[in-house]
Amino acid sequence: MRAIFMKCGVAIFAVLAQVAMPCMAEDCKSPTGDCVAVGKWNFSLALGAGLRTNPLDDAKNIPLVVIPQFNYYGKRFFIDNLDLGVTLAENNANTLNLIASPSYDRVYFVRGDLQNFIVPGGVGTNSAATPALARVFSSGAVQLRPPHPHISYLVGPEWTFTAHSVSGQLDLLREVTGQYGGDEIRAAVQFPFSGSPNSLNASIGVTWKSAALVNYYYGAGSFYSPGSALNPFVKLGYTRPLAGKWSFTAFAHYEHLGSAIARSPYIVRPQVVTFFAGFLYTH
Amino acid sequence: MLYRNLIMAGYFGLLCALGQRPCTAAAEPIEDIQLELSPHVCTLASNEKQCEALVHAQWRSPRSESLCLIIVDRPDVKHCWEHYAQGTYSLEVTFNDDLIFQLRDPQLQHVLATAALRVIREAIRLRHRRKDPWNVFN
Repeated sequence: MRAIFMKCGVAIFAVLAQVAMPCMAEDCKSPTGDCVAVGKWNFSLALGAGLRTNPLDDAKNIPLVVIPQFNYYGKRFFIDNLDLGVTLAENNANTLNLIASPSYDRVYFVRGDLQNFIVPGGVGTNSAATPALARVFSSGAVQLRPPHPHISYLVGPEWTFTAHSVSGQLDLLREVTGQYGGDEIRAAVQFPFSGSPNSLNASIGVTWKSAALVNYYYGAGSFYSPGSALNPFVKLGYTRPLAGKWSFTAFAHYEHLGSAIARSPYIVRPQVVTFFAGFLYTH
Repeated sequence: MLYRNLIMAGYFGLLCALGQRPCTAAAEPIEDIQLELSPHVCTLASNEKQCEALVHAQWRSPRSESLCLIIVDRPDVKHCWEHYAQGTYSLEVTFNDDLIFQLRDPQLQHVLATAALRVIREAIRLRHRRKDPWNVFN
């Protein structure tokens, strides 16, 4: 399964690279919307109220009050929050990047993980409350201690596209920091329901995690050795510009955990729900 | 010259008689309506993304007109006059691309005059932002 995914992915990206290479993006005329100034840092801070449910045993739900975001775009290189990337080819509809992105699952287990303060997507974006993660099996006597995973980064190609206002993303990633060597595929499409100045959009997507990745975070030795997992999600987002650099923003995100993760002895709820409403200041 | 003027007067008179043109304005080209903006240029430094300006729009015509002032692609902006030969309108606008102001007839079918509020940017290089619908905050 893993080999098929990776081979298909490489083939897809190779074709896309050939299609995209001859034409570079030239339609950016103002630093708004989909366009940014090269060589500049961009910061934003969302202040509001929100919550993320925590699927871990005994863990408390996580309040969301302040959400910082930042990015920097060079001619090819970019930093997008905790993701790094290089744009290999681009035209008005397609972009082929090579990215490095942290594995989000660590945040379940380490309260101080940076991703507990900068909110990206995917399983494990919950702020872990470092609960006493343990479960006593019904047969008694065995108490499991959760892992304390190290920071790990995944690297791989990313294809993003826009077609008839629908934007999509496909990442094929492999862990390269020597922790578990697992793979992850992130795929999502976003549909705009209304455009400028107010923006309402919906997204659907999936995250596929290989058995090596799932086992590293959610396995429990000889007690639980999971396979790969597929996590689908849906999201609804709304933004309304206010005066100056302020805007109102709100979103709701629901992610269903794949059965291999949901059956882990550390997990008690098979879903993660995130919602937030507040005011966004963009510098 | 006199012969040419007589021909033109006859032509407009015929249009008037046929109801194709208002008789009182028969000799006045519609381009005589003047629309002016102040300011008519907004300059942006490299660290600025959008203009915020109080814009004064002023128009005048050699005859009485019924018309409306609009901004192209800004359906929330519309101010109309009935039987006036001139008018002014001030509004605060926030924009990041050229704004096209137009005077149109009350049914908004015909453009009577146009003026542009231009955006001039300090030379900056732009590129596409990464599309990331997988991200919960995008």
